[in-house]
Amino acid sequence: MDIRISGVTKIFEGDIVALDGVYLSVGAGEFVYLVGTTGSGKTTLLRVISREVLPTKGQVLVGEFDLRRIRYNDLAYYRRDLGIVFQDFRLLPHLTVFENVAFILEAMGVPPKEVRDRSGFILERVGMWHRRFLRPPQLSGGEQQRVAIARAIVNAPAILLADEPTGNLDPRTSDEIVQLLTSINASGTTVIMATHNQYLVDAYRHRVVEVHRGRIIRDEPQGRYMADVDL
Amino acid sequence: MSTFRYLMRDTFRLLFRHWGMSLLTLFSISAVFFLLGASSLLSLNARHLLDNVEGQLTVQAYLKAGTDLAAARDKVQSFGNIVQITSVTPDEALERLKARLGNRAEVVTLLGDNPLPPTLEIRVERASHVPPLARRLVAMAEVDDVVYAGGLAEKLSRLSSFVGRLSMAILVIAIVAAVMVLFNTVRMAVYSRRDEIHVMLQVGATQTYVALPFVLQGMLLGMAGAALAALTLLKGYASAVDVLASTMPFLQFLRDGALLARLGVVLVGAGISLGWIASWLAVVRFIRAAMKPL
Repeated sequence: MDIRISGVTKIFEGDIVALDGVYLSVGAGEFVYLVGTTGSGKTTLLRVISREVLPTKGQVLVGEFDLRRIRYNDLAYYRRDLGIVFQDFRLLPHLTVFENVAFILEAMGVPPKEVRDRSGFILERVGMWHRRFLRPPQLSGGEQQRVAIARAIVNAPAILLADEPTGNLDPRTSDEIVQLLTSINASGTTVIMATHNQYLVDAYRHRVVEVHRGRIIRDEPQGRYMADVDL
Repeated sequence: MSTFRYLMRDTFRLLFRHWGMSLLTLFSISAVFFLLGASSLLSLNARHLLDNVEGQLTVQAYLKAGTDLAAARDKVQSFGNIVQITSVTPDEALERLKARLGNRAEVVTLLGDNPLPPTLEIRVERASHVPPLARRLVAMAEVDDVVYAGGLAEKLSRLSSFVGRLSMAILVIAIVAAVMVLFNTVRMAVYSRRDEIHVMLQVGATQTYVALPFVLQGMLLGMAGAALAALTLLKGYASAVDVLASTMPFLQFLRDGALLARLGVVLVGAGISLGWIASWLAVVRFIRAAMKPL
């Protein structure tokens, strides 16, 4: 699924300009870092793509969906093509690791056997199968983020949006999480990851889009030297 | 099919996760529906009693001597709301008088010619029909005098109307109370699962899928509460009527089993419907707000 954002402006109550005339195209299967300081508009841009935020102006096309005109009923089907990972994980504390992943498939009406198989497979892939009976408070931050990633990709989304997925993690665990996201991207999923971790951006080379005060001020293709990017 | 299984599982999770709240709601709903059923039984019994009394209300129209009874009867029949008209000729009236006097029947021979007028005895459907009928009879040229239990008829009519209004008021209060209790229970359940609902909506669960367990929870609580109330009420009513009938044999209580069973079914149906409405209102508002983009 291609993402085409054209002239998007978002002004929140109190005349707070979160995005200011943003143009961005992301092709299917790309890995894009969204970088920028806190409050630059990275999260708002991700939330525009997940349609949690409606632009004040401009157009957002994701695949066949025009997000300004999408109907409530279609929104559910659109979101099945998205996976979302948050900095604070947002796992459900009363469910086990396995249930946290499985309930996404259940919500889509997937038959129980397939739910078991797919959830098991994904937990193996993120290295959390051995922890499947534990609940989120019993896990470390890195483990919780792995479960959150498993939950985001279990329905095989076309696009994975990750908002500061390493924000609460130590450097080694952060490395592991980005390696995991890279492997997910290698299997064809578009990944857009907001971060201000320059080490990761330098270590795992992908396209970098820098946002500053609601505008895109730099769009570097994969492989360019990133040391001059001020995060 | 699998969706149905997930829905049922989530519904029972909701019911048992906050079992104290579910139990409280069950008993509250039960109390409300008990009140509703009791007021319905009061109304039905009042109606039954009135029907019995009204069935015996008779208007007597004394006609002028020489009036054609059959013609007068046809004319009165056309007034409507008439259950039965009995024509009594002067001779029949005299025979009745003699029968009533028994051993002293011979005194009627002292009257000489039969002085009794031809009479129409008229029974109407409702007590409220008596006064207008009496007014129309008085206006008829053939009618000499009209006798009826006017005061009783009007009092019965007023009592019937009062019981009807009282039942309606209790019905409205009970419905509002039931909806509020169910609404609050479901709203608390929604609130306790708000994070889960947000995540479900973010990953593409439909509104219906998210809302249905809560709606089923409301419907089940409404149904169980109403069923408990109906069982208690009908069992208690049967015992109460036995006691009352032996102490007040002059009162006719309702004992129509089919009608009472229908009342039970209506209560349970109302419990399900109110549960559905209240929980739908509680959950849909939340989901709409959660789905609304910033």
